[in-house]
Amino acid sequence: MNRSATNRRRERWLWIALAAPGAIWLIVLFVVPFYAMLAVAGGSVNPFFETAIPTWNPLHWSSANLSAVWHNIAGSGAFIGPPALRTLIYTAAASAISLAIAYPVAYFVSRYAGRRKALFLVLLIAPFWVSYMMRMLAWIDLLQQGGFVNSAMSLVGLPGGTDWLGGKSITVILGLVYGYIPYLILVLYAGLDRIDTSLLEAARDLGLGRWRTFWRVTVPLSKPTIIAGAFITVLPMIGDYFTNQLLSAAPNTTMIGNAIEGQLLSPGQTGQGAVLALMLLVVLLIPMIYYAVSTARASLEFG
Amino acid sequence: MATGESLRALPGAPGSVTRRVRARGNPWRRPWALEGFTWLYILWSIVPVAIAILFSFNKGASQSTWQGFSTKWYVGAGVTSVLHNPSLHQAVVQTLKLSIITTLITVPLGVGFAIGIDRWRSRTSSGLSLVMIFSFVVPELLLAVALFMLVTQLFTFLPLGTTAEVAGLVVWNFSWPAIIVRARLVTIGKTYEEAAADLGASRLSAIRRVLLPMLMPAIFASAVLVFAGTVDDFVIVEQLSSTAGTQPMSVLIYSNVHGGLQGPALNALATIMLGFSLLVALIGFAAYRWMTRGERKQGASEALTSIAGM
Amino acid sequence: MISRRQLLGAGAGLALTGLLAGCGGSGSSGGGGGAGSVGGASSGGIPLPRPNYPVKWPIASDNKAIASGLQPEKNATLQIYNWVAYINEGTVKDFCKKYNCKYQITTFNTMTEALAKLGTGQLSFDIFFPTVDVLGQLVEAKMIRPLNHSYIPNIANAWPDFRNPFYDQGWQYTVPYSIYTTGISWRKDKVNLTPSWNMPWQAAKYKGKVALLDDYRETITLALMRAGNYNVNTTNSSQIAAAGKALDQLSSLVNVRVDNNDYTEIPNGNAWIHQAWSGDMALAKDYMPKGTPVEVVGYWVPPNHHCPVQNDTIVNLKSGQNPVLAHLFMNYFLDVNNALNNYSYLGYMQPLTAVTPQKLIAEKLLPPTLTTTVVLPSYFRNGVQELELPPAAKQDWLNTYNSFSKGL
Repeated sequence: MNRSATNRRRERWLWIALAAPGAIWLIVLFVVPFYAMLAVAGGSVNPFFETAIPTWNPLHWSSANLSAVWHNIAGSGAFIGPPALRTLIYTAAASAISLAIAYPVAYFVSRYAGRRKALFLVLLIAPFWVSYMMRMLAWIDLLQQGGFVNSAMSLVGLPGGTDWLGGKSITVILGLVYGYIPYLILVLYAGLDRIDTSLLEAARDLGLGRWRTFWRVTVPLSKPTIIAGAFITVLPMIGDYFTNQLLSAAPNTTMIGNAIEGQLLSPGQTGQGAVLALMLLVVLLIPMIYYAVSTARASLEFG
Repeated sequence: MATGESLRALPGAPGSVTRRVRARGNPWRRPWALEGFTWLYILWSIVPVAIAILFSFNKGASQSTWQGFSTKWYVGAGVTSVLHNPSLHQAVVQTLKLSIITTLITVPLGVGFAIGIDRWRSRTSSGLSLVMIFSFVVPELLLAVALFMLVTQLFTFLPLGTTAEVAGLVVWNFSWPAIIVRARLVTIGKTYEEAAADLGASRLSAIRRVLLPMLMPAIFASAVLVFAGTVDDFVIVEQLSSTAGTQPMSVLIYSNVHGGLQGPALNALATIMLGFSLLVALIGFAAYRWMTRGERKQGASEALTSIAGM
Repeated sequence: MISRRQLLGAGAGLALTGLLAGCGGSGSSGGGGGAGSVGGASSGGIPLPRPNYPVKWPIASDNKAIASGLQPEKNATLQIYNWVAYINEGTVKDFCKKYNCKYQITTFNTMTEALAKLGTGQLSFDIFFPTVDVLGQLVEAKMIRPLNHSYIPNIANAWPDFRNPFYDQGWQYTVPYSIYTTGISWRKDKVNLTPSWNMPWQAAKYKGKVALLDDYRETITLALMRAGNYNVNTTNSSQIAAAGKALDQLSSLVNVRVDNNDYTEIPNGNAWIHQAWSGDMALAKDYMPKGTPVEVVGYWVPPNHHCPVQNDTIVNLKSGQNPVLAHLFMNYFLDVNNALNNYSYLGYMQPLTAVTPQKLIAEKLLPPTLTTTVVLPSYFRNGVQELELPPAAKQDWLNTYNSFSKGL
């Protein structure tokens, strides 16, 4: 390989040119609005219209909103603790269940579907074509006391009188799974498709059984995909608020997203909502950095 | 143990032991369990879709309680039916407009970004990558409210309505192609492009003829996700909408859930859209197969061969 | 005409006394100025109307009403900005047929959202349906146009109270739209309790089937009234805190839910007790599952009509391009037949004298078991009005509500 310095520089410009349009869009329409939210968090409220007034100069940022939110977290009458804890539990459970379902399905479709791959893909994508809201409303119908789910359960001998929609955590968790799993499957499919069959054949020839091949070859090879998939599923799940609104609407199953939404949209509390959302972001920085680092590392490993 | 197993798996070996071992040890048999599981998942996933379609034929106004059969939400006069209600037509048009335009902008932008960032090793690129990841982590409502404020106070050259909506949707969905394509890029690695370069192809040509085809599943997946994400989005779109003409179906549906009386008409709309998109998908698929009828067997190695032969 | 400075000057002193006196709500004795001037509490210098402190809004010199006798605009599209599904499009269509125009209805989900969009100045609507508590903001920001009464003779059909309502003396800017009460709706076939404000707290055996409205005013008001406190615009933080505690207690008692879907949840049996709005329950028959008669649905308000009563208004926005049509539109909806047509879709009635329970039953618009959803003038006089709060108190209410609904 004999690439001169000019060639390498020309290459560099190619990469920059490819990335530039996206980068500019991101900066103008993400970074700037993000700064606007910081300005609102450190800003004030128009006492008459109760709209948020952003304070653009960081030197003049006030800590009023921050202390109000801190009061809600740690002061008397604090109420942020329970939803925060619940969010962790719900998302952990929902992600585990989602991965347990999505991986086999994606694995099957990418490796064994053969000629029927297109059919399966269409079926997997079908939920996207119908609005999420509408599918949830359909679930509300199925989960009603006299509804299909209860009837089906009593048919097979299980108790058929559960009130699924009466403020139950399990309903919210399964609702989260249902809402986010199509994304996970698609992402896993895109990555699993890539695994070289010859590697698996080699493993089999070396005498590894089915399960061993799976655990020692397939899973490690699909690690970047699993991480991307987990990332794509878990992080939006943490900020979710409408699953609880639709399937439970009870104060004892709220997630942190409900608290944020409530404050962002309440008159005069937009600044506090912004602070709460920013706090959530700080917490999410950890998985975020892990994802960035692992992608960079994997990039070095593989290429 | 290794050779023992494979020997015993050979056909013709005596005894029932063989049959048991073959059933367990044969790696090439059809994975019935996996397939059954997949079908179960598909059923679970699609039954609510079928029910949503069913409710478009509901006699009453409820979207979650069956009250009898009727086609009034499709063609009935005197109610807000799909046929007679211009605001529903507007909503469909707006949904299609937004999703198509957003997908057409976001996917190329995102794919270019993913490729560029992955190859351009510098601090700026890692920074940009972090920004992109950050944009994915931010709660949508926060971004929506921020965009609204910005668009109405600072960026007044972006009027509320379709322009602002597309701008916001592109930013929000940008991370799909960026993340998915990046993950796939990482697995692919640089070897194929280097091989192409050794064979004399320019970088650009290598990208076009080697890399992009290999990225196709990821590009396809991200296009689907961007399209679907836009069709369903009501948070950003609602904040940045202006008059009724700029309110797509998702906003109508969401508003309805929180107090509205048009329910099943929206199910009818969604059913029509579903039928329409199935049709488009079928046509597109048939067209694709017709267009690639000669090239179907091509993989990375064949692409390289064809380059070498030039 | 009072200038802003006068308003501020006069208002500031009275504002303090008003706030200290904890004015607001019915039953409190009168204090400051009477009709025609700034009386009672104010927020940022803008008066807060109360039934005992009526307000006559100023009309700015650069915001005059349109001239009389003009023709309706030609080739116009009437721009309507309304809550979701809060008007019968059929009635609007009839209006447009009569006056040869087109219409477009844009919707909003919350009043906060609506005000934010209107405040950008980028949108121009003719007709808007504000609640009474935001009128002050709209007048102050000169967003609404004073009305020319000559275009709206049908005001004669409305209750006389509305020709001089406390929130807009002399109906300078508004005509009334819908009027409704907040009560408790329940399933008579499932629940064996006597309805009262305490009903949700008695429903421990119906765990998971009790719901309140997702509204910070309505929920805390319920708790206040249950404790016998009918000052529903209270600024007293210990009263508010006590209400919050009662709500938290309710949550652990019955796993209470919080949503605005009373109109579907009671008919389909997902909830057996639901705090409800009268207009939502009036249309219960449209949401009953097959085979369940509408007679099982009940709606209760106290017999002495001491319950929350609200009304919405219609205003003409200054940014609208079709003011004449807007006036005619308001007139159109004050006609009894059109109002009944609207009611058949909406369930929310308008305060017109001809709209009586008997009439509604006769026209088969309402089942006899739900006549409690009809609002009579006596409700308006005996009921409690949930009105605009001073900012600090509002934050107190909001925090208490958020703590209850988002954080248990």
